[in-house]
Amino acid sequence: MDAFLLGLSNGVVCISYCAPVLVPYLLGQGSGVLANLGIVARFLLGRLAGYLAFSVLAFTFHTTLPASVAARSLIMGSTYIILSVLLVFYGLRNRTSSPACAARGSGPFLLKAGRLWPALAPAILGLLTGLTICPPFLLAFAAAVEKTTLTGSVVFFVLFFCGTSVFFLPIPLVGSLKRLSVLSTVGKLAAGIIGLYYFYAGLILLLGVIKYP
Amino acid sequence: MPDNPSIGPHATTMTNLRAALTSLPMMLMTFVILSGGKLTHDPRHLFALVATFCFLNTLFFLMVKTGRTDRWRAILFTVFAVAFVISFISHYVEARGSMALSESEILECRTPFCHIVIPMTIIPLALTRTIIFPGTMTGVYAAIASMFIIWIGASLSLGRGFCAWGCFLGGWDDGFSRIMKRPIIKNIGKKWHYLSFAVLLAVALTSAAMLSPTYCEWLCPYKAVTEYVQVTSLTRLVQMIIFLTLFAGLVVILPLLAKRRIQCGLFCPFGAFQSFTNKISPFEVRVDKNLCVKCKKCITVCPTFSMSEESLDKGKARMTCIKCGKCIDNCPKGALSFHIKGTSLGDDRTAQRLLFLFPAFLFLSTMAGGNIQSAIVRIIGLFTTGSLLAH
Ligand code: SF4
Ligand code: SF4
Repeated sequence: MDAFLLGLSNGVVCISYCAPVLVPYLLGQGSGVLANLGIVARFLLGRLAGYLAFSVLAFTFHTTLPASVAARSLIMGSTYIILSVLLVFYGLRNRTSSPACAARGSGPFLLKAGRLWPALAPAILGLLTGLTICPPFLLAFAAAVEKTTLTGSVVFFVLFFCGTSVFFLPIPLVGSLKRLSVLSTVGKLAAGIIGLYYFYAGLILLLGVIKYP
Repeated sequence: MPDNPSIGPHATTMTNLRAALTSLPMMLMTFVILSGGKLTHDPRHLFALVATFCFLNTLFFLMVKTGRTDRWRAILFTVFAVAFVISFISHYVEARGSMALSESEILECRTPFCHIVIPMTIIPLALTRTIIFPGTMTGVYAAIASMFIIWIGASLSLGRGFCAWGCFLGGWDDGFSRIMKRPIIKNIGKKWHYLSFAVLLAVALTSAAMLSPTYCEWLCPYKAVTEYVQVTSLTRLVQMIIFLTLFAGLVVILPLLAKRRIQCGLFCPFGAFQSFTNKISPFEVRVDKNLCVKCKKCITVCPTFSMSEESLDKGKARMTCIKCGKCIDNCPKGALSFHIKGTSLGDDRTAQRLLFLFPAFLFLSTMAGGNIQSAIVRIIGLFTTGSLLAH
């Protein structure tokens, strides 16, 4: 449940960062709601594959973390603070997409991929966004590192994926890019506010006042 | 555009008579609402009842007579907000001896419920079937069920009109936004017009993740004038500092400088949420494109940034419109009007306006009446006994 809700609260950030890159592509390719649905489904599967790869990495990272609570709080607290500053920074900027989004700048590659393997192109795009080191994703990664088993880490990422995916589902219905840009503005501002919350959480961790999460 | 009544003594008498007759049903209804069907013998309460009755009905009469809506609405709305704070704080100081809410009262679910929490309760309610607010469901002051019922009724009829005709806090920034003659901050970037939706999204999602109302815990500026949790830890202290800073910035300073309702228009998550109910409300504010000369006066005066060049082109206010009527009062060409969806723009505008004004004003009177009466009784008490408290 935690991971799903974390995904839910970060999904808006994911969509606001990556949607401006991928939705024009999706809309450009799709014709009608059903065709768009197929594209989004393949895209999400690609994204899931990216997340699963990271769940293994998170577990590996977990095994290398120091055992002492103080050291872990220090690492996690600093991570939260750095990432939250990034979130606020991106939230206030005027750019249409995050430089962290791996799918950004992949236009020419996608065009080529789309010609060679039209069915796979959305999945590749999904995989690229799944492998993106953007702040919300890293926050999830930081939380997943706390999991003590590989299964725990995988389940965490699957649930996180489900939470974030909720926001991608209406995309097939989004008919106008203009409305999407409003959505993206709202998402980025929300990212800034959520960033402030993480900043506070990190600060409290560092101060050692409470244990988070 | 408001009627012009200054056309000879006979015409003036006729206008007054017509306005008085139109106001008669409102007088009857407000009397029943204020008195609760029975007259009190206590002189302080009787005075409060008569004063509130006269105040409400004079304003409604003036609305009908002058054709101006916002000018008179704003007076009642601001008085309501101040009266609410006087009566709310006094009530809780009487009930528990302090304006601050103790941790034990939160644990015992005795926190008064406020409509701003509603958007935060919906996702957790769907996911966990519990209301994530430490309040009481029924039978007490500010109970959860009664607030939900009021909100549903108001949303169905007025939509986001709730924010100009029902909210017991909105009168604060509305009042402050009217003090300066001219705005000092004139341009607020378009991006910020979406901030309240971002706050809504952020608090709805974090509330779902934390299973607690994060806006109330961290971001509500009105905690500064209603109630707050006792400062017993560093977290509580940080929260208190945030509340006071947000109140000073969003409710006082920025509305003063920008002459807009900054808290309601740019920050309040309930306001953003309520905007969606404008889709189901039968009333809206429309622009007659044949009369509009694109002077943009309406864009300049709208307190919630709900008029834009795009809305002028579309012929109607944005979905964030709170139906305050300020743009209608200020349009030099009479191009704007309250409109009932499904009717044609040319249909009788006075009748359409009255059909909106009756439910809207009655709702405001119902919300404000009890609070204004209570505040008057307490102020009389302050002069006669030296205390706002009843005992
Ligand atoms: S104030 Fe009236 S005339 Fe001027 S732009 Fe607005 S609707 Fe048009
Ligand atoms: S568009 Fe007009 S009625 Fe609507 S909020 Fe703005 S000023 Fe008020």
